[in-house]
Amino acid sequence: MDSPSNLTSLSEETHEEEEEEQQQHHHQSKASSVSSSAYSSIPNRPPIQASSQKYSPIHAMGYFDQEDDIHIPDSNDVFHLYKAGLDGPVVFCLHGGGYCGLSFALAASKIKEKARVVAMDLRGHGKSSTENELNISIETLCDDVVAVLKTLFGDTPPAIILVGHSMGGSVAIQVAAKKALSTLSGLVVVDVVEGTAMASLIHMQKILSNRMHHFSTIEKAIEWSVRGGSLRNIESARVSIPGTLKYDDSKNCYIYRTQLEETEQYWRGWYEGLSEKFLSCPAPKLLLLAGTDRLDRALTIGQMQGKFQMVVVRHTGHAIQEDVPDEFANLILNFISRNRIGPRGIEIPGIRRPSQFQP
Amino acid sequence: MPTQGDLDRQIEHLMECKPLTEAEVKTLCDQARAILVEEWNVQPVKCPVTVCGDIHGQFYDLIELFRIGGNAPDTNYLFMGDYVDRGYYSVETVTLLVALKVRYRDRITILRGNHESRQITQVYGFYDECLRKYGNANVWKYFTDLFDYLPLTALIESQIFCLHGGLSPSLDTLDNIRALDRIQEVPHEGPMCDLLWSDPDDRCGWGISPRGAGYTFGQDIAAQFNHTNGLTLISRAHQLVMEGYNWCQEKNVVTVFSAPNYCYRCGNMAAILEIGENMEQNFLQFDPAPRQIEPDTSRKTPDYFL
Repeated sequence: MDSPSNLTSLSEETHEEEEEEQQQHHHQSKASSVSSSAYSSIPNRPPIQASSQKYSPIHAMGYFDQEDDIHIPDSNDVFHLYKAGLDGPVVFCLHGGGYCGLSFALAASKIKEKARVVAMDLRGHGKSSTENELNISIETLCDDVVAVLKTLFGDTPPAIILVGHSMGGSVAIQVAAKKALSTLSGLVVVDVVEGTAMASLIHMQKILSNRMHHFSTIEKAIEWSVRGGSLRNIESARVSIPGTLKYDDSKNCYIYRTQLEETEQYWRGWYEGLSEKFLSCPAPKLLLLAGTDRLDRALTIGQMQGKFQMVVVRHTGHAIQEDVPDEFANLILNFISRNRIGPRGIEIPGIRRPSQFQP
Repeated sequence: MPTQGDLDRQIEHLMECKPLTEAEVKTLCDQARAILVEEWNVQPVKCPVTVCGDIHGQFYDLIELFRIGGNAPDTNYLFMGDYVDRGYYSVETVTLLVALKVRYRDRITILRGNHESRQITQVYGFYDECLRKYGNANVWKYFTDLFDYLPLTALIESQIFCLHGGLSPSLDTLDNIRALDRIQEVPHEGPMCDLLWSDPDDRCGWGISPRGAGYTFGQDIAAQFNHTNGLTLISRAHQLVMEGYNWCQEKNVVTVFSAPNYCYRCGNMAAILEIGENMEQNFLQFDPAPRQIEPDTSRKTPDYFL
């Protein structure tokens, strides 16, 4: 990849660095000039160091309890999993395109108090390693998820709540629609709707190419994710962004682990027919949308017929689980408890009339 | 205090889809509250009356409804909630219905829907529309404070029980409903929430509602409720039905939905239910009003959808 566009983005990065440093100098000198606190006599730290501390990576093991590699039998595919929690149903999390399992780290640290959480790195993402890293067709991604669950739990799986964000939401819906999981007890889809996803695909290459592509340090990548607006929660970015990067020895910089630009042929397949498949899934369903209601026709009708629960989560970007992890975790836990999903499935088939218990 | 002449002028103004001033809304809501506080949780209604379901801010379709069903007060109306949110004219719609209520209190009954709530209207449009049209949230506050006083259910000639959502496992009798303290925000759970959120279902017994609030109830539940309370029918709204009305549960329950082409995209018909002088039932279906504003295609698409 020696195209002129690379040079452009490199020079842009340098430019931005300079600009940032200037801004920080400006901020600090301003702060120190008006500050009258006891700390005002402490000399300013070099701005780069302050920035790198603010955006330094955080290890995931404070949030998840363990990480594992799952080897899929009769293949060379190895999937990386993050796990948390000891009891309860399994909340199985699927990240969006270009993200990784660590996208659910902060939410997992709260969900694990009442359920088990497993977040996998999908093919071509994070620390998973497969024979064909670029084949992220919906069929392959679904087969991967089913294979991981089968390898993980064998023939006696616990109750599973599939949670998928964006592209991962599409995988969750299609795995549910295949009826491949006998113990599927809930389906949670995070900020993806067929109609609006299909409409925005034509903009995707431009959006992807407008991203910064090379980072001198991991801190710079974390900073870019927050300042560029894709993530709004610095703590989550510090945990999850490192998993979305890899070091490029030839360029001496960090680049994205997943080459999304190369996967355009699969994008339509992720979303086509998604709304009908979502509605046809018999398990309890929760659709979480960021900021505004983006329902297409099929989902508007379905919602207005009471076929699923929808929550519009305010003050968040696309990655709801990262931007407002506590609220996200509460929504998941309330969904589990409201639908009475226990470790072995939905526990009470009917509801007894409360009035029967009245004297 | 505004005279009837003032009110008539305001109604005329509103019928042209023009909002009232903030001060006029405040006065109107004060008057409406004084009327609604006197009404019952199970408000008695006489026939003939025309029963209507969700409107959702689709003002021009409400005008079409009056064209099909007859103008107030020539026709008596019972609206089963969900006046605001989703459509583009929640302000004009709810103001008109409240003005008609104040002007013709015995000829118009307006019940509470699950969207007549502070929390829901902040997410689904009414709050934003008030800010856009008045520059502040005062009008939203006047209306949502008023919503706390709306009756929860109505009873036509002691026979047809009307409400927005459906039954509650905590409420076996109409007297149970009469005993509720309704003057409050719609709670997240409990009997008052259930009345505004529940749906009938093909399965028997009570079920967890997929909506995340209320319950589903089977035919056995509806039949028992009707039998216990000497009713012939439960009439409710809350669910989109493609034909505008839908019988279910062996005619123990009927759903009436009065927002045609809901959200300007669903392609459904709307309907209203005429209850005649001898309690005979007649459904009138209608399509969207000819004058329709195109849906807003500039709805913001997300930056990143992978």
